[in-house]
Amino acid sequence: MAVEGTSVALPQFLKKIELIKQGAEARVYRGSFLGKPTIVKERFPKLYRHPLLDEKLTHRRTVQEVRSILRCRKAGISAPVVYFVDYTSHCIFLEDIVGSITVRDHIASTQLSSAQKSPEEHLDQLAQKMGQILAKMHDEDVVHGDLTTSNMLLKAGAESGETELVLIDFGLSYISALPEDKGVDMYVLEKAFLSTHPNTEALFEKLLKAYAASSKKSHAVIKKLDEVRLRGRKRSMVG
Amino acid sequence: MLESFFYPQIRFSSVMYSTQELELFPDRTVTQLLFKDVKNAAELRKNAMEGKINGALINPSMIVSPFQVLVAANKAVHLHSTGKMKTRSLYSEIIYNLSPTNNISEAFKRFGMSDSDSAVLIVLVHLKEETQHMTDIIAKVDGQQIPIEDVSMLTDTAKVKKLYKTTPQEDTCLLDAVVCRMATKDVM
Ligand SMILES: Nc1ncnc2c1ncn2[C@@H]1O[C@H](COP(=O)(O)OP(=O)(O)O)[C@@H](O)[C@H]1O
Ligand SMILES: [Mg+2]
Repeated sequence: MAVEGTSVALPQFLKKIELIKQGAEARVYRGSFLGKPTIVKERFPKLYRHPLLDEKLTHRRTVQEVRSILRCRKAGISAPVVYFVDYTSHCIFLEDIVGSITVRDHIASTQLSSAQKSPEEHLDQLAQKMGQILAKMHDEDVVHGDLTTSNMLLKAGAESGETELVLIDFGLSYISALPEDKGVDMYVLEKAFLSTHPNTEALFEKLLKAYAASSKKSHAVIKKLDEVRLRGRKRSMVG
Repeated sequence: MLESFFYPQIRFSSVMYSTQELELFPDRTVTQLLFKDVKNAAELRKNAMEGKINGALINPSMIVSPFQVLVAANKAVHLHSTGKMKTRSLYSEIIYNLSPTNNISEAFKRFGMSDSDSAVLIVLVHLKEETQHMTDIIAKVDGQQIPIEDVSMLTDTAKVKKLYKTTPQEDTCLLDAVVCRMATKDVM
């Protein structure tokens, strides 16, 4: 059926489904798998890296992604269900969060919408929810490693009408209890947030406030965040 | 309403078993059959071991939904095709894949049918047009075939939760919790 150790079925399957994102590290596809709407994330070889090192890194990211998803889900933090993993082609098959949009797109469209008198006020609830969920994630010692508003999805809740925040893209995640690691995680988010969404300083402050209020361990993290910010500023002054 | 009155057999046969094409292996189809009041479990098991039944005999009390079985079957066919199975046959691999742990004998004990069972879920992997096989197996079971979706009525939820070590936070969807563990057990 196939050359020992490798799958011919997978590349053929990927050719037939819809490519939704070609990134630097991975291609993301959308299609049907075992009858369910599914997202396939394929980490492809990076030709500039030594093949053995590349294989090792790619494998590690695939493993980290599924491990952190499971860890989050166990704690009641929403992340897509893992359906299938192929460690030879480095493909992860995930539940497609149908009808979702990224937090990035949601914020952007809310800011644009002229119907909203005060878009930031409208987004307050979302920022609060983000802060709470990230605090919960950090309490599980999951450090995401790539917190951006593109790596969070909003999904309309089943009946409640309340929207659910779903975390994705855990390829750079790791397990750590260190406030420093969590502080850097929040710093990465802050940088990404403020550069993607203009005039959101106040909104991001609300996120941090909710983060601080949600976790007993947040104090040490915020302290580290302040230190990292200072370091960042110093560096940019020198550089 | 009227339609189901005039065409009872059609309605009947469409819900009795489930078939699903494996999208990754488009020539392969997975069929699941469910039986209750089974009186010849020991004989069926012997048949399976002797290769007279080409299918996996599963204890349905550990199954939350037919989708759980599909996830196990897809993974088995995949590992079969890449030469990386952990067990000796495609059917034993399906049973092994259902388990949250890497202990093979434990997997068979929990997820395989045992001689004293009175219900069984049979999984077949076959070519789409190959249906004779299914008829042969149905003839071998001394029991009553019931719709595959009824497997949820046979689920021992407490046992499933305990074996897969699910958390209270995951109670909103037990199937999701189970599937995640099956899919990721190799790296846990
Ligand atoms: N489970 C999912 N359900 C719906 N959309 C998803 C899902 N996973 C990813 N996406 C979409 O694909 C995009 C890229 O996925 P991501 O995992 O972040 O890969 P990358 O590493 O390329 O950023 C996301 O921003 C989102 O729009
Ligand atoms: Mg991303």
